[in-house]
Amino acid sequence: MKLNELKEGTMASVLSLDADMHLLSRVTSIGVTEGTRIQVVKNDKKMPILIYVRETLLALNRKDCEKIEVEVIG
Amino acid sequence: MSTIALLGQPNSGKSTVFNQLTGARQHVGNWPGKTVEKKDGSFSYNGKKYELIDLPGSYALSGNSDEEIITEDFIKSGKADLVCILVDASQLERSMYMVSEFALLDKPAVLLLNMMDVAKKQNKEIDDKLLSERLGIPVLPFTAADGKEYGKLKDMLEQELSAPHKLVSKPWVVDSGKEKSIDLVKAESEAKFQWVAEMLDGVTKTKTEKYELSKFDRVAIRPVLGKLVSIGIILLAFLVAMIVCIPFMSLGSMIPKYSSGPISDALTSINVHPWLVSIFSLMIPNVIYFSLSMAAFVLGVNLVFGFLEEVGFLARAAYQFDGVLSKIGLQGKAVAPLLMGFGCTIGGSCGTRVMDNWGQKMLAMAAVWAIPCASIWSIIPVVSGMFFPAWGTLLICLCILLYVVFMMFIVSKVFGKKLAPIETRTGMIMELPPYHKAHWKHIWKEAFFKALDIFLRALRTVTIISLLFWALSYSGSGAIEDSILYKIGTAIEPVTKFFGMGWRTFMAFLSGAFAKEAVLGVLNAVFVGDNSLLNATFNAKTAGADAGSLSTIMSNSVSQAEALAFMFAVTFNIPCVMALSTTYRESHSLKWTARVAIFYFGSALLLSCVVYHVASLFL
Repeated sequence: MKLNELKEGTMASVLSLDADMHLLSRVTSIGVTEGTRIQVVKNDKKMPILIYVRETLLALNRKDCEKIEVEVIG
Repeated sequence: MSTIALLGQPNSGKSTVFNQLTGARQHVGNWPGKTVEKKDGSFSYNGKKYELIDLPGSYALSGNSDEEIITEDFIKSGKADLVCILVDASQLERSMYMVSEFALLDKPAVLLLNMMDVAKKQNKEIDDKLLSERLGIPVLPFTAADGKEYGKLKDMLEQELSAPHKLVSKPWVVDSGKEKSIDLVKAESEAKFQWVAEMLDGVTKTKTEKYELSKFDRVAIRPVLGKLVSIGIILLAFLVAMIVCIPFMSLGSMIPKYSSGPISDALTSINVHPWLVSIFSLMIPNVIYFSLSMAAFVLGVNLVFGFLEEVGFLARAAYQFDGVLSKIGLQGKAVAPLLMGFGCTIGGSCGTRVMDNWGQKMLAMAAVWAIPCASIWSIIPVVSGMFFPAWGTLLICLCILLYVVFMMFIVSKVFGKKLAPIETRTGMIMELPPYHKAHWKHIWKEAFFKALDIFLRALRTVTIISLLFWALSYSGSGAIEDSILYKIGTAIEPVTKFFGMGWRTFMAFLSGAFAKEAVLGVLNAVFVGDNSLLNATFNAKTAGADAGSLSTIMSNSVSQAEALAFMFAVTFNIPCVMALSTTYRESHSLKWTARVAIFYFGSALLLSCVVYHVASLFL
């Protein structure tokens, strides 16, 4: 599943990042790496997705979220 | 003199620490050859002087942007005797990533656990002694906005400079100068977070697992309602800023009003040359008035923006408007200064201080210039009313608004490539910091220093430009025909005619670049002729244009097409000498300020030309 397909309130774990070097370094430095647990806080159409990761509330572009493969957990 | 560098991610409170330590002893410029802001300053403690460098804010040190490269190179160069790293104690795990990258550079450092007040409020406990032991460097729990904590910080810096420590542990990475593959970079960054986890194991005890949106956030992040709420709050903030600055401005306006006459009489009575009389009685009081107005605006805007930024609201507004503004290469944060621009270009320009980097700041300022300020909205209906019925005026205002949008795209096309290079425009990846309590004492202090600084510097810039304008509009006899401006104006009228303006409207257009309030006064002087040009320009507000006779004379000697061209040209010209000066002060770049000014002047003429010739076909 892709990150942008997750519903509000879902907990998930990052499986893989299909990103180029620039995006990879940006998302990594702000806390999103493979294996990280994330919570989808808000996912409205046409708006960036709000996720909670490593104690931080992040807004991520929808397009970039398509490149983040995730797995829903418990 | 020892040099200390401040290192930290955006929102770590780095600039607060920098401002609190250096106060007014700071210098802002650009890193050589880069469009990245360089801030350095100094402070004294126990009789010793220290130099402080504020490194550009970035999330990592992996060479992915100018900011990251400058920061990494500076630390590697060893120019800093000590690096003071700031992390956000309320988001320790994530912000420690910077420490993991710094550890690889093997330089002396101390660690500040900033935002302890927020962390405490979230019931987060941090064992700073254990962390210090693991890292091998001193760790200080800290709240940057609290002035009382700086004694401890200075003690620690002094002590460490005499006996510095380096980090004793560092994450695993492959030591090679070669280009690293994506997989290797992934593995390394996981190793860095693994290292952070090891360092923090047992250091942090409570960890929030599930995030609950606050009541306010539930509204603030809704797609439509959230945008309306954001616009409302920013406009409200502008009102508050105005309320703060109005007393200062009205006080300032009394200076030329009450001092011009007496100064002029006194100097004339002792036979001072009329030239000097007009400089001292007209120009100088107005320069002081202008500078005071600017400082008052800067004070008001910095107070409200300081507040909105510190409590965490601006990040929400940025989230709302990022999608729209990214189309012109700007970050979402630019929404606040842009909206403020409708009130006053000076306010909007100094509001760009919230932007993350210099390029974004300069681009936002260039965009703010395109937004017609309140003064323009008060001039256009008056001029338009002389030539067109009410619905025509409404239509003109609508066209102006549409052109604002178009102008934004042009500005982004012309300046965006250089100021916000395409490759740095990633889609939005930003943190929404937790809501903070505002530290008013700190906000006032910063706003006051900024206003004082602007006032002192503006005196100089405004004086130079005023002198120039004074020289052009001075007339020995008081008659317009004896001023240089008239001579130039009439001489180049064939050229200005091509752009759609006769010499009279062209002069009013020029004066609009000086102060928008001057436009009506100058129109009155050149058409009705009952006032000298100098008085009209510098005493704009007190001169009081006689709308009745002006209207009759203007509508007889100016065509509708020329009036239309004139209105557009005035609206999209250089906003005013104060906005120009603020832009220069905020950007610290004469080159870029001049570029933007020339662009606006040129494009206003071009616009006037197009409007005139198209309108001539129909009107």
